[in-house]
Amino acid sequence: MGTILIVDDTLFMRTLLKNILFSGGHSIAGEAANGEEAVAKYKELKPDLVTMDVVMPKVNGIEALKAIKQLDPAARVIMCTAVGQEQMVKLAIKTGAKGYIVKPFQAPKVLEEVKNVLAS
Amino acid sequence: MTEVPLKVEHDGKWVVIKASVSEDRITFPEPIDKEILFKSIFDMEEKKSVLVLMVKGNPDAIIRIASVEKVLVVLKRLILAGCNAYRLMAYFMSPAIRGGVLAKNAQWEKGSIVVVKTGIWFVSAAKQICVPLTDVAAIELTKREVQGKQTDIVRIDHVESGEVVSSLVLCPLSTLQVLANFLKDATKGIDMAGNELDSVDQQVAMLVYSGMDSHAIENMLNIPHKQLDEIYDRIIKLGIAEVIIIRREVQLTTKGVRYISDATKTQTN
Repeated sequence: MGTILIVDDTLFMRTLLKNILFSGGHSIAGEAANGEEAVAKYKELKPDLVTMDVVMPKVNGIEALKAIKQLDPAARVIMCTAVGQEQMVKLAIKTGAKGYIVKPFQAPKVLEEVKNVLAS
Repeated sequence: MTEVPLKVEHDGKWVVIKASVSEDRITFPEPIDKEILFKSIFDMEEKKSVLVLMVKGNPDAIIRIASVEKVLVVLKRLILAGCNAYRLMAYFMSPAIRGGVLAKNAQWEKGSIVVVKTGIWFVSAAKQICVPLTDVAAIELTKREVQGKQTDIVRIDHVESGEVVSSLVLCPLSTLQVLANFLKDATKGIDMAGNELDSVDQQVAMLVYSGMDSHAIENMLNIPHKQLDEIYDRIIKLGIAEVIIIRREVQLTTKGVRYISDATKTQTN
Protein backbone atom coordinates (compact mmCIF):
# COMPACT_ATOMS: atom_id res chain seq x y z
CA MET A 1 0.00 0.00 0.00
CA GLY A 2 1.29 3.47 -0.75
CA THR A 3 0.49 7.14 -1.04
CA ILE A 4 -0.33 8.11 -4.58
CA LEU A 5 -0.47 11.38 -6.51
CA ILE A 6 -3.04 11.28 -9.31
CA VAL A 7 -2.33 13.51 -12.30
CA ASP A 8 -5.00 13.89 -14.99
CA ASP A 9 -6.64 16.90 -16.59
CA THR A 10 -10.15 15.46 -16.31
CA LEU A 11 -11.95 15.33 -12.98
CA PHE A 12 -13.76 12.21 -14.16
CA MET A 13 -10.57 10.19 -14.68
CA ARG A 14 -9.08 11.47 -11.41
CA THR A 15 -12.21 10.42 -9.52
CA LEU A 16 -12.21 7.03 -11.22
CA LEU A 17 -8.55 6.39 -10.39
CA LYS A 18 -9.11 7.61 -6.84
CA ASN A 19 -11.91 5.07 -6.37
CA ILE A 20 -9.90 2.24 -7.88
CA LEU A 21 -6.84 3.04 -5.74
CA PHE A 22 -8.94 3.45 -2.57
CA SER A 23 -10.54 0.06 -3.22
CA GLY A 24 -7.03 -1.40 -3.35
CA GLY A 25 -6.21 0.06 0.08
CA HIS A 26 -3.96 2.90 -1.15
CA SER A 27 -4.03 6.45 0.17
CA ILE A 28 -4.37 9.40 -2.13
CA ALA A 29 -1.60 11.92 -1.41
CA GLY A 30 -3.15 14.48 -3.74
CA GLU A 31 -4.38 15.33 -7.23
CA ALA A 32 -3.07 17.53 -10.03
CA ALA A 33 -4.78 18.66 -13.22
CA ASN A 34 -1.68 19.38 -15.32
CA GLY A 35 2.04 18.69 -15.46
CA GLU A 36 3.07 21.94 -13.80
CA GLU A 37 0.82 21.27 -10.83
CA ALA A 38 2.07 17.67 -10.74
CA VAL A 39 5.70 18.73 -10.27
CA ALA A 40 4.75 21.21 -7.53
CA LYS A 41 2.61 18.62 -5.73
CA TYR A 42 5.34 16.00 -6.02
CA LYS A 43 7.83 18.37 -4.32
CA GLU A 44 5.32 19.13 -1.59
CA LEU A 45 3.83 15.66 -0.95
CA LYS A 46 6.64 13.23 -1.81
CA PRO A 47 4.19 10.42 -2.74
CA ASP A 48 5.25 6.78 -3.09
CA LEU A 49 3.87 6.71 -6.61
CA VAL A 50 2.43 9.00 -9.31
CA THR A 51 -0.15 8.07 -11.95
CA MET A 52 0.48 10.49 -14.79
CA ASP A 53 -1.74 11.21 -17.78
CA VAL A 54 0.28 11.81 -20.96
CA VAL A 55 -1.81 14.41 -22.76
CA MET A 56 -2.50 17.44 -20.56
CA PRO A 57 -2.57 21.22 -20.97
CA LYS A 58 0.34 23.52 -19.97
CA VAL A 59 3.00 20.88 -19.25
CA ASN A 60 2.30 17.42 -20.66
CA GLY A 61 2.90 14.15 -18.83
CA ILE A 62 6.26 13.38 -20.45
CA GLU A 63 7.65 16.82 -19.55
CA ALA A 64 6.31 16.50 -16.00
CA LEU A 65 7.87 13.03 -15.73
CA LYS A 66 11.24 14.47 -16.78
CA ALA A 67 10.97 17.23 -14.17
CA ILE A 68 9.98 14.79 -11.41
CA LYS A 69 12.85 12.43 -12.30
CA GLN A 70 15.25 15.39 -12.07
CA LEU A 71 13.91 16.18 -8.61
CA ASP A 72 13.93 12.55 -7.51
CA PRO A 73 15.61 9.94 -9.75
CA ALA A 74 13.96 7.16 -7.69
CA ALA A 75 10.42 8.51 -8.31
CA ARG A 76 7.90 5.82 -9.28
CA VAL A 77 5.66 7.05 -12.08
CA ILE A 78 3.01 5.09 -13.99
CA MET A 79 1.96 6.71 -17.27
CA CYS A 80 -1.70 6.64 -18.37
CA THR A 81 -2.07 6.71 -22.14
CA ALA A 82 -5.14 6.49 -24.33
CA VAL A 83 -5.60 3.70 -26.85
CA GLY A 84 -3.52 4.66 -29.90
CA GLN A 85 -0.87 6.49 -27.88
CA GLU A 86 1.11 3.40 -26.94
CA GLN A 87 4.08 4.77 -28.88
CA MET A 88 4.34 7.39 -26.13
CA VAL A 89 5.04 4.52 -23.76
CA LYS A 90 8.49 3.95 -25.25
CA LEU A 91 9.38 7.60 -24.75
CA ALA A 92 8.01 7.53 -21.21
CA ILE A 93 9.99 4.39 -20.33
CA LYS A 94 13.15 6.00 -21.76
CA THR A 95 12.41 9.02 -19.59
CA GLY A 96 12.12 6.84 -16.49
CA ALA A 97 8.47 5.77 -16.12
CA LYS A 98 8.18 2.52 -14.17
CA GLY A 99 4.91 1.35 -15.68
CA TYR A 100 2.04 2.25 -17.97
CA ILE A 101 -1.68 1.70 -18.22
CA VAL A 102 -3.85 2.25 -21.27
CA LYS A 103 -7.23 3.99 -21.01
CA PRO A 104 -9.93 2.81 -20.73
CA PHE A 105 -8.59 0.67 -17.94
CA GLN A 106 -10.02 -1.95 -15.59
CA ALA A 107 -9.60 -1.78 -11.82
CA PRO A 108 -7.86 -5.13 -11.18
CA LYS A 109 -5.24 -4.45 -13.82
CA VAL A 110 -4.56 -0.94 -12.52
CA LEU A 111 -4.11 -2.29 -8.99
CA GLU A 112 -1.83 -5.04 -10.26
CA GLU A 113 0.38 -2.53 -12.07
CA VAL A 114 0.47 -0.22 -9.03
CA LYS A 115 1.43 -3.17 -6.81
CA ASN A 116 4.22 -4.20 -9.21
CA VAL A 117 5.63 -0.70 -9.42
CA LEU A 118 5.44 -0.12 -5.66
CA ALA A 119 7.31 -3.39 -5.16
CA SER A 120 10.03 -2.41 -7.64
CA MET B 1 -0.14 -41.14 -41.50
CA THR B 2 0.40 -40.81 -37.77
CA GLU B 3 -1.69 -42.52 -35.13
CA VAL B 4 -2.81 -40.39 -32.20
CA PRO B 5 -4.80 -41.34 -29.06
CA LEU B 6 -8.11 -39.48 -28.89
CA LYS B 7 -11.44 -39.48 -27.13
CA VAL B 8 -14.24 -38.80 -29.56
CA GLU B 9 -17.88 -38.27 -28.68
CA HIS B 10 -19.96 -40.94 -30.38
CA ASP B 11 -23.70 -41.48 -29.76
CA GLY B 12 -23.53 -39.37 -26.60
CA LYS B 13 -20.56 -41.29 -25.12
CA TRP B 14 -16.81 -40.70 -25.18
CA VAL B 15 -15.01 -43.41 -27.12
CA VAL B 16 -11.25 -43.96 -26.81
CA ILE B 17 -9.66 -44.60 -30.21
CA LYS B 18 -6.42 -44.28 -32.14
CA ALA B 19 -7.09 -41.94 -35.04
CA SER B 20 -4.92 -41.71 -38.14
CA VAL B 21 -3.90 -38.19 -39.02
CA SER B 22 -2.28 -36.96 -42.23
CA GLU B 23 -1.69 -33.50 -43.73
CA ASP B 24 -5.21 -33.28 -45.13
CA ARG B 25 -7.45 -35.66 -43.19
CA ILE B 26 -8.22 -37.51 -39.99
CA THR B 27 -9.58 -41.04 -39.95
CA PHE B 28 -11.52 -42.49 -37.03
CA PRO B 29 -11.62 -46.33 -36.84
CA GLU B 30 -14.56 -48.46 -35.59
CA PRO B 31 -16.95 -47.85 -33.91
CA ILE B 32 -16.96 -44.35 -35.43
CA ASP B 33 -15.60 -45.37 -38.84
CA LYS B 34 -15.38 -41.94 -40.40
CA GLU B 35 -12.88 -40.04 -42.53
CA ILE B 36 -12.89 -36.26 -42.35
CA LEU B 37 -11.09 -34.11 -44.88
CA PHE B 38 -9.78 -30.95 -43.22
CA LYS B 39 -11.13 -28.86 -46.11
CA SER B 40 -14.64 -29.97 -45.13
CA ILE B 41 -14.22 -28.44 -41.65
CA PHE B 42 -15.68 -24.94 -41.63
CA ASP B 43 -15.54 -24.18 -37.92
CA MET B 44 -13.44 -25.14 -34.92
CA GLU B 45 -13.86 -24.10 -31.30
CA GLU B 46 -11.87 -25.10 -28.25
CA LYS B 47 -13.74 -25.50 -24.97
CA LYS B 48 -11.71 -26.67 -21.99
CA SER B 49 -9.42 -29.07 -23.87
CA VAL B 50 -12.24 -30.25 -26.13
CA LEU B 51 -12.06 -29.42 -29.83
CA VAL B 52 -15.44 -28.93 -31.44
CA LEU B 53 -15.35 -29.34 -35.22
CA MET B 54 -18.17 -28.43 -37.61
CA VAL B 55 -17.97 -30.55 -40.73
CA LYS B 56 -19.76 -29.80 -43.98
CA GLY B 57 -22.13 -32.57 -45.00
CA ASN B 58 -25.73 -33.47 -45.39
CA PRO B 59 -26.53 -32.67 -42.67
CA ASP B 60 -23.50 -30.86 -41.20
CA ALA B 61 -21.84 -32.86 -38.41
CA ILE B 62 -20.44 -31.79 -35.08
CA ILE B 63 -17.39 -33.74 -33.89
CA ARG B 64 -16.07 -33.39 -30.34
CA ILE B 65 -12.49 -34.49 -29.70
CA ALA B 66 -10.54 -34.57 -26.45
CA SER B 67 -6.92 -35.52 -25.93
CA VAL B 68 -3.74 -34.47 -24.19
CA GLU B 69 -2.45 -30.96 -24.91
CA LYS B 70 0.45 -32.23 -27.06
CA VAL B 71 -1.90 -34.09 -29.44
CA LEU B 72 -4.44 -31.25 -29.58
CA VAL B 73 -1.71 -28.75 -30.50
CA VAL B 74 -0.70 -30.87 -33.51
CA LEU B 75 -4.33 -31.49 -34.52
CA LYS B 76 -5.24 -27.81 -34.28
CA ARG B 77 -2.23 -26.82 -36.38
CA LEU B 78 -3.11 -29.31 -39.12
CA ILE B 79 -6.81 -28.45 -39.12
CA LEU B 80 -6.21 -24.69 -39.12
CA ALA B 81 -3.79 -25.07 -42.03
CA GLY B 82 -6.24 -27.09 -44.10
CA CYS B 83 -9.78 -26.14 -43.07
CA ASN B 84 -12.27 -24.09 -45.03
CA ALA B 85 -11.52 -20.58 -43.68
CA TYR B 86 -10.35 -17.05 -44.47
CA ARG B 87 -6.60 -17.31 -43.94
CA LEU B 88 -3.69 -14.91 -44.18
CA MET B 89 -0.03 -14.87 -43.25
CA ALA B 90 0.74 -12.10 -40.78
CA TYR B 91 2.67 -10.97 -37.79
CA PHE B 92 0.53 -10.78 -34.68
CA MET B 93 0.77 -9.85 -31.02
CA SER B 94 -1.81 -11.56 -28.84
CA PRO B 95 -2.45 -10.56 -26.15
CA ALA B 96 -0.94 -7.08 -26.57
CA ILE B 97 -3.04 -5.20 -23.99
CA ARG B 98 -5.01 -6.81 -21.17
CA GLY B 99 -7.40 -4.74 -19.04
CA GLY B 100 -5.70 -1.52 -20.14
CA VAL B 101 -2.21 -2.70 -19.20
CA LEU B 102 0.27 -3.49 -21.95
CA ALA B 103 1.03 -7.21 -21.72
CA LYS B 104 4.48 -7.94 -20.37
CA ASN B 105 6.84 -9.69 -22.80
CA ALA B 106 4.37 -9.15 -25.65
CA GLN B 107 6.13 -9.53 -28.96
CA TRP B 108 5.36 -9.84 -32.65
CA GLU B 109 5.07 -13.44 -33.79
CA LYS B 110 5.18 -14.71 -37.33
CA GLY B 111 2.24 -16.93 -38.19
CA SER B 112 -1.22 -16.82 -39.66
CA ILE B 113 -4.66 -15.50 -38.88
CA VAL B 114 -7.41 -18.00 -39.60
CA VAL B 115 -11.01 -16.82 -39.47
CA VAL B 116 -13.53 -19.65 -39.17
CA LYS B 117 -17.31 -19.41 -38.76
CA THR B 118 -17.31 -18.52 -35.07
CA GLY B 119 -13.80 -17.41 -34.24
CA ILE B 120 -10.47 -15.85 -35.14
CA TRP B 121 -7.43 -18.06 -34.58
CA PHE B 122 -3.95 -16.62 -34.11
CA VAL B 123 -1.57 -19.39 -35.10
CA SER B 124 2.21 -19.49 -34.78
CA ALA B 125 4.76 -22.25 -34.25
CA ALA B 126 4.42 -21.76 -30.50
CA LYS B 127 0.73 -20.99 -29.95
CA GLN B 128 -2.82 -21.24 -31.21
CA ILE B 129 -5.15 -18.69 -29.64
CA CYS B 130 -8.85 -18.50 -30.48
CA VAL B 131 -10.95 -15.37 -30.08
CA PRO B 132 -14.68 -16.18 -30.44
CA LEU B 133 -16.38 -13.69 -32.78
CA THR B 134 -19.14 -13.25 -30.18
CA ASP B 135 -16.52 -11.91 -27.75
CA VAL B 136 -15.07 -9.36 -30.19
CA ALA B 137 -15.67 -5.87 -28.81
CA ALA B 138 -13.90 -3.74 -31.44
CA ILE B 139 -11.98 -3.95 -34.69
CA GLU B 140 -9.92 -1.01 -35.83
CA LEU B 141 -7.49 -0.32 -38.64
CA THR B 142 -4.99 1.95 -36.92
CA LYS B 143 -1.28 2.76 -36.64
CA ARG B 144 1.40 1.64 -34.18
CA GLU B 145 5.09 2.29 -33.94
CA VAL B 146 6.87 -0.85 -35.09
CA GLN B 147 10.68 -0.75 -35.15
CA GLY B 148 10.61 3.03 -34.99
CA LYS B 149 8.17 3.43 -37.90
CA GLN B 150 4.45 4.28 -37.84
CA THR B 151 2.91 1.16 -39.31
CA ASP B 152 -0.64 0.18 -40.24
CA ILE B 153 -2.08 -2.58 -38.09
CA VAL B 154 -5.47 -4.05 -37.20
CA ARG B 155 -6.41 -4.00 -33.51
CA ILE B 156 -8.92 -6.61 -32.36
CA ASP B 157 -10.39 -6.16 -28.87
CA HIS B 158 -12.23 -9.00 -27.23
CA VAL B 159 -13.71 -9.67 -23.82
CA GLU B 160 -12.15 -12.54 -21.86
CA SER B 161 -13.27 -13.30 -18.29
CA GLY B 162 -14.61 -9.75 -17.97
CA GLU B 163 -11.35 -8.18 -19.17
CA VAL B 164 -10.81 -6.42 -22.47
CA VAL B 165 -7.90 -7.98 -24.32
CA SER B 166 -6.38 -6.40 -27.43
CA SER B 167 -4.54 -8.29 -30.15
CA LEU B 168 -2.62 -6.64 -32.98
CA VAL B 169 -2.18 -7.88 -36.55
CA LEU B 170 0.51 -6.64 -38.91
CA CYS B 171 0.66 -7.38 -42.65
CA PRO B 172 0.54 -5.39 -45.93
CA LEU B 173 -2.04 -2.56 -45.82
CA SER B 174 -4.22 -3.96 -48.60
CA THR B 175 -4.52 -7.27 -46.72
CA LEU B 176 -5.21 -5.45 -43.47
CA GLN B 177 -8.08 -3.57 -45.12
CA VAL B 178 -9.57 -6.83 -46.38
CA LEU B 179 -9.15 -8.39 -42.90
CA ALA B 180 -10.70 -5.38 -41.13
CA ASN B 181 -13.67 -5.34 -43.53
CA PHE B 182 -14.12 -9.10 -43.29
CA LEU B 183 -14.08 -9.02 -39.49
CA LYS B 184 -16.35 -5.99 -39.32
CA ASP B 185 -18.80 -7.79 -41.55
CA ALA B 186 -18.57 -10.97 -39.45
CA THR B 187 -19.23 -9.00 -36.26
CA LYS B 188 -21.56 -6.27 -37.53
CA GLY B 189 -24.06 -7.02 -34.77
CA ILE B 190 -21.83 -5.15 -32.31
CA ASP B 191 -21.65 -1.88 -34.30
CA MET B 192 -23.42 1.20 -32.92
CA ALA B 193 -24.09 4.56 -34.52
CA GLY B 194 -22.25 6.36 -31.74
CA ASN B 195 -25.02 8.74 -30.74
CA GLU B 196 -27.11 6.35 -28.66
CA LEU B 197 -25.66 7.51 -25.35
CA ASP B 198 -25.50 10.99 -23.86
CA SER B 199 -22.43 12.12 -21.92
CA VAL B 200 -23.67 10.89 -18.53
CA ASP B 201 -24.65 7.52 -20.04
CA GLN B 202 -21.15 7.28 -21.52
CA GLN B 203 -19.56 8.08 -18.17
CA VAL B 204 -21.67 5.38 -16.52
CA ALA B 205 -20.66 2.88 -19.21
CA MET B 206 -17.00 3.82 -18.71
CA LEU B 207 -17.30 3.34 -14.94
CA VAL B 208 -18.99 -0.03 -15.39
CA TYR B 209 -16.14 -0.97 -17.75
CA SER B 210 -13.64 0.01 -15.05
CA GLY B 211 -15.35 -2.26 -12.54
CA MET B 212 -17.26 0.27 -10.43
CA ASP B 213 -20.49 -0.89 -8.73
CA SER B 214 -23.76 1.08 -8.55
CA HIS B 215 -22.95 2.62 -5.20
CA ALA B 216 -19.55 3.89 -6.40
CA ILE B 217 -21.07 5.22 -9.63
CA GLU B 218 -23.81 7.14 -7.78
CA ASN B 219 -21.19 8.71 -5.52
CA MET B 220 -18.72 9.51 -8.27
CA LEU B 221 -21.23 11.10 -10.62
CA ASN B 222 -23.37 12.47 -7.81
CA ILE B 223 -26.56 11.10 -9.33
CA PRO B 224 -29.57 9.59 -7.51
CA HIS B 225 -30.27 5.87 -7.67
CA LYS B 226 -33.37 6.40 -9.81
CA GLN B 227 -31.38 8.20 -12.51
CA LEU B 228 -28.70 5.51 -12.52
CA ASP B 229 -31.41 2.87 -12.79
CA GLU B 230 -32.84 4.62 -15.86
CA ILE B 231 -29.37 4.78 -17.44
CA TYR B 232 -28.89 1.07 -16.72
CA ASP B 233 -32.24 0.40 -18.44
CA ARG B 234 -31.03 2.29 -21.53
CA ILE B 235 -27.66 0.58 -21.79
CA ILE B 236 -29.19 -2.84 -21.14
CA LYS B 237 -31.79 -2.20 -23.86
CA LEU B 238 -28.98 -1.27 -26.27
CA GLY B 239 -27.35 -4.61 -25.51
CA ILE B 240 -24.13 -3.06 -24.20
CA ALA B 241 -24.60 -4.18 -20.62
CA GLU B 242 -26.31 -7.01 -18.77
CA VAL B 243 -27.60 -7.49 -15.24
CA ILE B 244 -25.26 -9.66 -13.18
CA ILE B 245 -26.67 -9.07 -9.69
CA ILE B 246 -29.72 -7.39 -8.14
CA ARG B 247 -28.79 -5.91 -4.79
CA ARG B 248 -31.49 -5.02 -2.21
CA GLU B 249 -31.67 -2.15 0.29
CA VAL B 250 -33.81 -2.84 3.37
CA GLN B 251 -35.01 -1.01 6.47
CA LEU B 252 -35.85 -2.55 9.83
CA THR B 253 -39.45 -3.33 10.77
CA THR B 254 -40.78 -2.57 14.27
CA LYS B 255 -39.78 -6.08 15.24
CA GLY B 256 -36.29 -5.43 13.97
CA VAL B 257 -36.01 -2.11 15.77
CA ARG B 258 -37.10 -3.78 19.02
CA TYR B 259 -34.58 -6.58 18.49
CA ILE B 260 -31.71 -4.12 17.98
CA SER B 261 -32.84 -1.99 20.96
CA ASP B 262 -32.94 -5.08 23.18
CA ALA B 263 -29.60 -6.30 21.92
CA THR B 264 -28.03 -2.90 22.61
CA LYS B 265 -29.47 -2.91 26.14
CA THR B 266 -28.06 -6.39 26.77
CA GLN B 267 -24.64 -5.28 25.56
CA THR B 268 -24.58 -2.09 27.66
CA ASN B 269 -25.90 -3.68 30.88
